[in-house]
Amino acid sequence: MSVAFGVIRDRQDQLFLHLEQTYPSHRVLRDKIEEPILWLRSPDELVPMIEALRREPATQFDRLSDITAYDNIDHVDGPKRLIVVYQLYSLQHHTRLRLKIAIDQDESVPTLTVVWGAANWLEREVFDMFGIRFAGHPDLRRILMDERFVGHPLLKEYELEARQPFSDSLPVRIATGFESPEESH
Amino acid sequence: MGKDGSASYIPTRLDYAVKWAQKNSLWPMPFGTSCCGIELMSTLSGTYDLSRFGSEVVRFSPRQADLLLVAGTITTKMSPVLRQIYDQMLEPKWVIAMGACSSSGGIFNTYSVLQGIDEIMPVDIYVPGCPPIPEGLIYSILRLQEIVEKGLPRKQMHKLTREEARNAMNFRQAIGESLFESGETGATPSGPAEIKGETR
Ligand code: SF4
Repeated sequence: MSVAFGVIRDRQDQLFLHLEQTYPSHRVLRDKIEEPILWLRSPDELVPMIEALRREPATQFDRLSDITAYDNIDHVDGPKRLIVVYQLYSLQHHTRLRLKIAIDQDESVPTLTVVWGAANWLEREVFDMFGIRFAGHPDLRRILMDERFVGHPLLKEYELEARQPFSDSLPVRIATGFESPEESH
Repeated sequence: MGKDGSASYIPTRLDYAVKWAQKNSLWPMPFGTSCCGIELMSTLSGTYDLSRFGSEVVRFSPRQADLLLVAGTITTKMSPVLRQIYDQMLEPKWVIAMGACSSSGGIFNTYSVLQGIDEIMPVDIYVPGCPPIPEGLIYSILRLQEIVEKGLPRKQMHKLTREEARNAMNFRQAIGESLFESGETGATPSGPAEIKGETR
């Protein structure tokens, strides 16, 4: 085991304790490789929470690695249908944090494009695959599938082999009027 | 031209000469979309050196290519693009489907992947494998040269139904007539004794 690995493991433990103390009313778990998972109680908490995690010296999560989701159709993770997952990384501490929000299919999640411009395409992908709406997103279009595609293929009720071929492709459209968060501040 | 510089003529039929020229200058347009593309690059580069067979001039413009080499997974979103490239190529043109993905969709029987490029264009040669080894691709080019030289007709691939694919005996029945020479086809399901002599 290398020294660096031990150091990061220590930081993960510290981060976990810090999160447990700072957010006593939230569920804080650890996954199989001991990375912390923080469950948010409602979508409204997301942006204030992320801004706090980004600002505070103890956490300093300044990079958004990924946004994804999964279909909680068997209700292993509670009664709500979809789980949105945010994977954060701290370039300062070299630690990672996973945020999870459970939502129903008719609920929407606030966009993170106000914090990170990188969230734009990631949220478009989650919208494309799961139909999750991000409130306030500047350009919420499909990104992987064709724009004429009907349905959201990673939902479990979408039939696996239901292909929707089109005989032509749509021209590329670049979104207009989008400003990155840095420019607009 | 003789070795000593004297001029000489080789009498030949024009169509034979044209076919000979076509066969030995199959310029490929590579359409590598995933892992098979890596194997294709390996075939084109020094170790396997596809230029030994007259296919060295890789053309990234479909107007200058004779052979469309589709190497990789073709998604339904990519298929109009591929079809347009095929339409832009000038006659005569040939198509090789390299690998399981471009032949039949391969392991990706999903919402986003085209189940074989023969759904959108005629295909001359299917190269099996995931990915095919470079020798397999070279063999397919040699087969294609044979097709070009002899002017062989393009055969329709028989796509198996689920029931046919489930049973190896039925598989033999289904593709027996089209794949093997007539007369040798042991299409009757009478046991493994007949399986010898199946090699091409
Ligand atoms: S056939 Fe196999 S190697 Fe070739 S593109 Fe498909 S998955 Fe990749």
